Amino acid sequence: MATLVEDKSNRLRMTGRGGELVGAYWDELFTARERGAQVVWYNGHALNPLFQAAGISWCHGEAFSARLAAQHLEGPAQLAGEEYGYVNELCSYSRTHLGCAVLTNDFGEGETGIVGAVDQRELASRLPEPDFFVNGYQGCSTGQQWDQMSYRILGKKVPIFTLSLPYMFGSKPDAGYLVGEEWETATNYVVDQLEKLIEFLEAQTGRPFDYDKLGEIMGYIKAASQLRREAMALCMAKPTPATYWDWVACIAHINFMPAGQRLIDYFQGVKDEVVERLANGVSGVANERYRLYFDGIMNWNKLGWLARKFADTDAAVICGRYTHQNFWQEPQLIDPENPLRGLAQHYLLCSNSQGFKTLKEAMVKDCDDYGIDGIIFHASRTCRAYTNHQHLLARVAEKQLGLPTTFFEGDIADAAFYKDEILEVRLAALLETIDAKRART
Amino acid sequence: MEHAAASPLEAMTRAAEDPAGYVEQWKARTGGRAIAVFPMNFPAEIAHAAGLLPVIVQEDRNPITLGNNLLSEFNCGYSRNLADQAATGRLDVFDGFFMADHCIQLIGAADVIRELTGGRRFYLGQLISSMNDPWTPEQARLTMTDFVAELSSFAGVEITDERLRESIKTYNRGRKLLRTLYEQRRSGDSRFTSGELQTMVKSSMVMQREEHNALMEDLVAQSSATPRDDRVRVHLSGHFCHAPKPELLALIEESGGIVVDDDLFHGARYISTDADESASPVDALVGQYLERNVNVPCPTRAQSDVDWDAYLLNAVHSSGAEVVISLLVKYCEPHMLYLPELRKALEAEGIPHLLLETEHEGIPLETMRTRIEAMFEQATRGRAPTRVPTA
Ligand code: SF4
Ligand code: SF4
Repeated sequence: MATLVEDKSNRLRMTGRGGELVGAYWDELFTARERGAQVVWYNGHALNPLFQAAGISWCHGEAFSARLAAQHLEGPAQLAGEEYGYVNELCSYSRTHLGCAVLTNDFGEGETGIVGAVDQRELASRLPEPDFFVNGYQGCSTGQQWDQMSYRILGKKVPIFTLSLPYMFGSKPDAGYLVGEEWETATNYVVDQLEKLIEFLEAQTGRPFDYDKLGEIMGYIKAASQLRREAMALCMAKPTPATYWDWVACIAHINFMPAGQRLIDYFQGVKDEVVERLANGVSGVANERYRLYFDGIMNWNKLGWLARKFADTDAAVICGRYTHQNFWQEPQLIDPENPLRGLAQHYLLCSNSQGFKTLKEAMVKDCDDYGIDGIIFHASRTCRAYTNHQHLLARVAEKQLGLPTTFFEGDIADAAFYKDEILEVRLAALLETIDAKRART
Repeated sequence: MEHAAASPLEAMTRAAEDPAGYVEQWKARTGGRAIAVFPMNFPAEIAHAAGLLPVIVQEDRNPITLGNNLLSEFNCGYSRNLADQAATGRLDVFDGFFMADHCIQLIGAADVIRELTGGRRFYLGQLISSMNDPWTPEQARLTMTDFVAELSSFAGVEITDERLRESIKTYNRGRKLLRTLYEQRRSGDSRFTSGELQTMVKSSMVMQREEHNALMEDLVAQSSATPRDDRVRVHLSGHFCHAPKPELLALIEESGGIVVDDDLFHGARYISTDADESASPVDALVGQYLERNVNVPCPTRAQSDVDWDAYLLNAVHSSGAEVVISLLVKYCEPHMLYLPELRKALEAEGIPHLLLETEHEGIPLETMRTRIEAMFEQATRGRAPTRVPTA
């Protein structure tokens, strides 16, 4: 792999602070058993506000796999998954987490989960095994089956709740983003599902669910999310004060960390730093010459590397589907007085579960708003939910927006699929096309 | 009638090999409209009751060209082939597209088809995939009711209970006829090759049911048992959406095997479950949806109280299969997720298991031959006196 001598990326200072908060969250989860807390393993949508209100500790499967990958500690779990029989073409989030379940089952007779084998210690080895599972997937059959598999690996004794969430294909004639019969019906359906989940949580905890607490939590999420969106919008400025990689770095916070004043303070800090940069003319990339849109689920092994790589070519990656069309991106829908409706609607808005029409409109809007010059598609090898629409989106970008596009291959949590040389060549070609286009106009 | 002169199997082969040709002729003959439907759960009975011809879109033999620029190369061959069919006008014969939620890759193909067949109705209904919750039947009922309303409006025909009941009977009859031959195969009759049985099932997914039933009646009536020889008895497992290539089935037979049972979509899975003719028709279709997943569990559904591995062991014991060959469609995630459990269960009972990965193009038949022959040789070497069918 090529080495980058000079780091021209200028990441937000708050990213470092954010990393500490995430570390603290996981450390706290690892001691859940000692504190007598129940633990839920959940996959898919951000169900954590419900768990927080119910007083349960939570482990988001994708987040745990992403964390291991980001720390380059995914190997032992993936090996365990492979030995159990999961081939490497299977979603690497699920493979990694299923590997954790295999290790838990083999070594975790005690209370603490994945412990025992010395060589597994590095694998965030204190993840507590679950008291129950909740699966919250929409459309992605892999995501749904992943918990069915964990359930089997752990001996079919851990209760499992599957939340049914409709994929927003847009079948009805009036279907559209946040409007139409399908949106309304789906919202009501999911509210109903959430009520059933709450009954399940009550049965698991033996306590009545605290709706007031949920309202309070949603209030924090709403405020944090507004700050996040405002800070993102400030990046329409040229040059951009922060980049896509900064927004990737704070996904964990908005997506699964406990909601409280600390969350608001963190996003206030992020926004303040962006404002301060704007005031002082400080940009997210030393010498911004290109503004790119990134379409793809994140390659967690390579976050820092990619940030430097793009900056090295003077390309500021400004926004993307993963960061800008996910994670409480419509805070106005949250009503702390009526929290379930806002939760339901946000689950329906996950960009993994939208038909092409909605995805196309959102991409076109972001490219216009942020003054994008070209699009880079990360074909994340083992996540078909995310790659399904990329070729159609590339056609729209080229035909409708006149934007050059390129693809590179990688993966969410398996480093083996990333080829640096390919990205290098494709990125260079993309930037050349932008140059040529500029020369013509 | 176009197929009147042909033998039943010839007529079926023609429809199975050229569904579009069949649909064109059917439309010309009847003036009716045809819809494309997709695996695995769309209730074709409802479309039939509306006077439409519902055709499950088959993987075709054409090499994928444009489809490779519409879905990633790591999508399964079936989904890329569908995208290719849409891009090259091979789906033009259909007047609309209907699907019940299946897997994420098929949803991707659905969006490509919708985009490239602009203007034609594409309806994706969400049949609840969590199968054993207390609210599952009611949610499935709502979706079925929705399908009835959508297809009524699409066809401009009121789908009455009576019409639906008639269609259910017709489809039940078709499945029963097919099951008759499958059951005979299970209990030792080897009159039809696995390729021929596949043709029967595949054509039943394409042809108008009344016409197919008539051909099946002939076949069943003519049927006389051929006793099985001592070839290695094989259970074929997998392939949830499209048919395994006939040459692969032939290869198994040439290598000294005989397929005695399967859980393929183009096989036992598709014909496993009828709808209750005495219940209200919508409830009957709901019941059929739920029971099918118990009869032959499907990895695209979530059901914690049934297991594909338990089903497989049971099937192997009932047919007396000596080996299991899993046919994995390359990149088919639902299948990949369940494989370790299948393998564990088969290993625990000492049943030899071979995994063959299949692709739309370029199946390495010679490599497969070597592996299949090696497996059969091992199976015959360690052959117990006889594994007799228990059912
Ligand atoms: S394939 Fe993608 S959407 Fe599905 S579980 Fe894996 S990461 Fe999530
Ligand atoms: S179930 Fe498997 S073969 Fe069928 S469309 Fe999905 S991935 Fe492809």
